[in-house]
Amino acid sequence: MEIFTQTVVNGIVLSSIYILVALGFALIFSVMQILNFAHGTIYMAGAYVCYYLASSFGLPPWAAILISAVVLALFGVFLERFGFRYLENDFNRTLMFSLVIIVFLQTTADITVGPYVKRVPSVLHGVTTVAGITLSKERLITCVITVCLLLAVTFLIRKTALGRQMLAVAQDGDAASLQGINVHRVAAFALGLSSALAAVAGGLMGSIIMLNTYMGDAMLLRAITLVIIAGIGSLGGLFVSGLIVGFVDAVLPIFIGGSGSAVVAFSFAILILVIRPQGLFGHEI
Amino acid sequence: MSEKQGKMGVKTSKRYVAYAILIAFLLLLPWLSLGGAYFIHVCILIFTYVIATSSLRTIFVSGQASIGHAAFMGIGAYTSALLSTKLGWTPWVTILLGAITAMVVAVLSGYLFSRLRAIYFSMVTAFFGVAFEALMRSGGEFTGGKAGMVALPGMGVIDLPGLGEINFATSKIPYYYLLLFLTLFTLIVLYRIERSRSGMNWMAIAQSPLVASSIGISETKFRILAFAVGCFFGGLAGSVYPHYSSVLSPGSFSLMPSINLVIFLLFGGTRFFAGPVIGVIVLMAIPEVFRSLKQYAPYIVGGIMLLVTFWMPQGLAGLFESAKPWIFKMFGKGANPVRKEFSNGMRK
Repeated sequence: MEIFTQTVVNGIVLSSIYILVALGFALIFSVMQILNFAHGTIYMAGAYVCYYLASSFGLPPWAAILISAVVLALFGVFLERFGFRYLENDFNRTLMFSLVIIVFLQTTADITVGPYVKRVPSVLHGVTTVAGITLSKERLITCVITVCLLLAVTFLIRKTALGRQMLAVAQDGDAASLQGINVHRVAAFALGLSSALAAVAGGLMGSIIMLNTYMGDAMLLRAITLVIIAGIGSLGGLFVSGLIVGFVDAVLPIFIGGSGSAVVAFSFAILILVIRPQGLFGHEI
Repeated sequence: MSEKQGKMGVKTSKRYVAYAILIAFLLLLPWLSLGGAYFIHVCILIFTYVIATSSLRTIFVSGQASIGHAAFMGIGAYTSALLSTKLGWTPWVTILLGAITAMVVAVLSGYLFSRLRAIYFSMVTAFFGVAFEALMRSGGEFTGGKAGMVALPGMGVIDLPGLGEINFATSKIPYYYLLLFLTLFTLIVLYRIERSRSGMNWMAIAQSPLVASSIGISETKFRILAFAVGCFFGGLAGSVYPHYSSVLSPGSFSLMPSINLVIFLLFGGTRFFAGPVIGVIVLMAIPEVFRSLKQYAPYIVGGIMLLVTFWMPQGLAGLFESAKPWIFKMFGKGANPVRKEFSNGMRK
């Protein structure tokens, strides 16, 4: 029973963090039509900024996460304004540019913080007992924060003017700009928002796992898996695919090891792409 | 017309002389005592990457941006390593079998992936790559699991008629010549295929799959052909290297190594045959040249990549091409006659 509940909690924590990262990736993909390979590295940078603020300035973890989200959001806006805007959605050049971002961020993280073992302090410590089941508070608070954020972002996209502008640009950039929407500004906002989400995910995940400069690669793959299973352009589908992949990653390693569960998740993604390229919930491509 | 053909003839023969000089230089390179064994090691790495990146370019030429090419190198490497350790076959045979296995897998997976175009093809190949790596990691005893395989057999001692005994175990120089031979072989084969009818069909498909199939080019067939040819040579590059280094780890075939190959390719430029060669040499040389900067060296690589991204959309090879008229002008020969007339007209 103890293992069962803990696995369920782990599954929910992993799912919520995956969804947080994948939501940003999907947002950039729909609004800007680019595969941002640097998204995982921005998640890593979020965790490192958090760690740096908490360890060097002694900031409380929640403040560190908040500041790292703001820093990375500004970084995202900067990338759009001075980078992606000039690359005209050319696949080769945007790919190159996102790889340049990866090189710079990973090198900076290596130089400033260094490769030794480290961990972001968690927002809450200790355990709590709910209905006779012992749960760690840090996992619960992670769940609560991510669920609140996901609800807020969904509200932002569906209900506010800026969110609707993003949806319009995602549907058809030219038509949107004919309606007087500043496509570049919307793209900058989308990149800023997605980077902030990735940074929060990094900060939260950083208190659960050990930090290393390559932690972004695995997360990037998970984000792409989620987007593929859900279908590109389906934000609601991300929640379902996030739960699927999160629970696969929480449950399967107990039985067949971490690499085995990765084989299952990635093969599932290949199968979806080959059989149903529009994903489980996406529209025709 | 005849005059033009005559000129072309001179140009071609000059070009052959240049190639002969280049090959002679490469043949003599190990004996010039430039940095010793480490220099030879870097050369071998460069050759391996030139084979891998040029074969990746063949796939890109047919409009398929694969970002799982390292996985096909891995298929070659693991096939060759497993056959030579478990069955005790000589690496000379298993290297070829590794490349063939990579090609067979490429034909099968290429058939499955042929429905997907552009970014979707990129994603499915990326997932193929990471799934392969995870599979090798979870292989347990058989594939060596996370740690990979160690103590792989080298190429041993061979007895070539006329050259005497060549011992691969004592020095790196035989490997240098082996890789040089394989690189030249790969480049010649890939060049011939690209300039053949198949190559033209690939370019047509890359430009517009619809138009290409409307004039009777089978998109599926030629895309699979490009994928198979590219992966054969990718597998070849992958299967030689573990016998040289005698170790093999699954991490060398995951997403980031695949993306590294794409960087080499885009850096050099996909449009030109020499692109991958230039890209690999420059990008491999930078860290060696800036060795004194230690951990800051990646900034130099990143900075140069940034330059290429924003100011050289065709890559480094494209830079040479676009600078050609200026260079000719500077040395006062072969200046574009059309441009000359135009400028004269402007002056009047």
